[in-house]
Amino acid sequence: MFNQLGGGNSNPNKDVEVASPPEDTVSALEFSPPSVPQTFLVAGSWDCRVRCWEVEASGKTVLKAVQGMDGPILDVAWHDDGSKVFMASTDKSVKCWDLASNQTMQVAAHDAPVKTCHWIKAPNYTCLMTASWDKTLKFWDTRSSVPIMTMNLTERCYCADVDYPMAVVGTADRGICVYTLEGKPAEFKRVESPLKYQHRCIAIFKDKKTKQPTGFALGSVEGRVAIQYVTPANPKDNFTFKCHRSAGTTAGYQDIYAVNDVAFHPAHGTLATVGSDGSFSFWDKDARTKLKSSELIDQPLTKCAFNHNGQIFAYAVGYDWSKVSIYQLQLGHEHYNQAKKNYIFLRPCYEDLKPRST
Amino acid sequence: MGRKKKKASKPWCWYCNREFDDEKILIQHQKAKHFKCHICHKKLYTGPGLSIHCMQVHKEAIDKVPNSLPNRSNIEIEIYGMEGIPPEDVKEHEKQKTGGGKGSDSDDDEPAAKRKATPALLGPGPSQVNPGILPTPMGQMPPGMYPAHMQMNHMMPHFMHSPRMMMPGMRPLFPAASVQTSTPNKPTFPAYSNATISAPPTTSNSDPKENGDVRPPAANTCPLVTSTGAGSKIIHPPEDVSLEEIRARNPKYRPKPKPDTHIQSAPAMITPTSQAEVAAHMSAAVAAARQQAMRRPLMQPVVLQQPVRVGVPVSVPPVMGMLPVMPQFNLMRPLQPDNSTI
Repeated sequence: MFNQLGGGNSNPNKDVEVASPPEDTVSALEFSPPSVPQTFLVAGSWDCRVRCWEVEASGKTVLKAVQGMDGPILDVAWHDDGSKVFMASTDKSVKCWDLASNQTMQVAAHDAPVKTCHWIKAPNYTCLMTASWDKTLKFWDTRSSVPIMTMNLTERCYCADVDYPMAVVGTADRGICVYTLEGKPAEFKRVESPLKYQHRCIAIFKDKKTKQPTGFALGSVEGRVAIQYVTPANPKDNFTFKCHRSAGTTAGYQDIYAVNDVAFHPAHGTLATVGSDGSFSFWDKDARTKLKSSELIDQPLTKCAFNHNGQIFAYAVGYDWSKVSIYQLQLGHEHYNQAKKNYIFLRPCYEDLKPRST
Repeated sequence: MGRKKKKASKPWCWYCNREFDDEKILIQHQKAKHFKCHICHKKLYTGPGLSIHCMQVHKEAIDKVPNSLPNRSNIEIEIYGMEGIPPEDVKEHEKQKTGGGKGSDSDDDEPAAKRKATPALLGPGPSQVNPGILPTPMGQMPPGMYPAHMQMNHMMPHFMHSPRMMMPGMRPLFPAASVQTSTPNKPTFPAYSNATISAPPTTSNSDPKENGDVRPPAANTCPLVTSTGAGSKIIHPPEDVSLEEIRARNPKYRPKPKPDTHIQSAPAMITPTSQAEVAAHMSAAVAAARQQAMRRPLMQPVVLQQPVRVGVPVSVPPVMGMLPVMPQFNLMRPLQPDNSTI
């Protein structure tokens, strides 16, 4: 039924469409942690709501619950036990959504919209990490209205990731700061940006052997991703690669699109990127090759996620404002086609993301 | 000094920073790219020409030059080939070409105050123009830009002829980052360097949340993203601010004004104190009220409401009482052999 309406290029990759998608662009996408037997998918949206679906083995999705906040959602995170979801919003607060009771409670506050939230589970503590456009990074015991710890960022937070014992934050001044979470959160190292354009997304990767976080992938608006080790054994281990750019040139120009999200495969250590060009790509950072690139979709891809065992790749399709021009802003009408629907697609991905045989 | 002639600067297009081997080609480029009427495709000769044409023939006002960089879209400036380019831009361009990163060393004989010195102000300023050479009647000509003027300007600033040349676009697919990170490449194009090197985006921190109206920043005052120069363009709004911040400024996405205290969670948490914040709340409320009149209810109408809002009615609370537990699923579609070990 959807495909009849879809007219071809809204789902050229023939993936499974998630039922009852958000009414506006998806801004956050997370699968439930391994502690939950079923698979749930949570998505935050610009429509100010967070939705939770159950994903069945057949690929069928059932919308289970919806919660709202006072402003558009910018990030979501699961509690490690899978019973709660944290939602960060432009309304400057973060709420905890208890799925069992369907109640929400505010657990964090900033002076500006909260861009990211992450749940930290350390052996000796648990807390919520939030980063905001107010240039602070805060750590919260969710039972207290005062943060356990506040750290200043050099600029507004644009992206962050956590993989115990490492956290990393990318800021508006193209800053990158790595934190260690062992014992208690502390700044570990500031890293000079390998990229020359605005940071947009970041994801931590693990060492193949030790299974400990060793570095991160950082995506920028200039269709480029950097693979960066925190302490590289060899400086040549760090590199950048281009992606999400138009194949040919249109009228003498090559179009370069933003990398909207990057995610690592939990089993293979390979990675996926999604871009404003309307495609996703799978990469093997160790072999330094592309594993797969998707067909072009007629709208940008805004977010992506792997489920905990790496069987499912989810990606969200919807307008991301990358084509808003200064004049359109001035005139108050933005390049935004209301008629276009927002989608979330699911795709079996385990095979596609297998690293190049070595 | 023998290598002085090695590299005369190439003609370049003020509108898009592209370089050409020949000024003829540059003019063809400008006519085709920047001075073509989008309605009847007639090629005009200058920006003002295009604007007058559109106004008179099609009754349409054009406010910027097509296909131009954001800070170079002024349609009023009369530029034809290399003629008419504002002198400061010429300087800037040369400077970029010779690889002197802005604000770095490059004290050659270019004072930092090269900004917008008008000829009248030049007197006291140190060597904006070579001492002894008065600005020509035509206004300041960029030194050494036109061969015709060379006899007046014997002293070609040597920075123009620096042998360091750029090789744009010669990067390998996976360059070792070590090379790339530590030494920021010399910028090829002025606008490019604006975006990345000269000014780290510190400006636009008039917190986005509180920007009542969205005013595009004047070109040059804020870091820009879009300008990569010739050959490619970044699909992103010009301002170097995240898409989320730009989007969040839209009235449609203003957070609903909150009741001042949240009953449920600690009241101490929310203390809107700064005036700006209050103002932001108010303006948001006004905007919301205004919209309410004319809009389909996309967001709920602005009504003070209970802190806990349950959106769409929901069947069951999810995590509890679910269907039988699936095995480690190999999701969707009858799968191929599978699940080999890693």
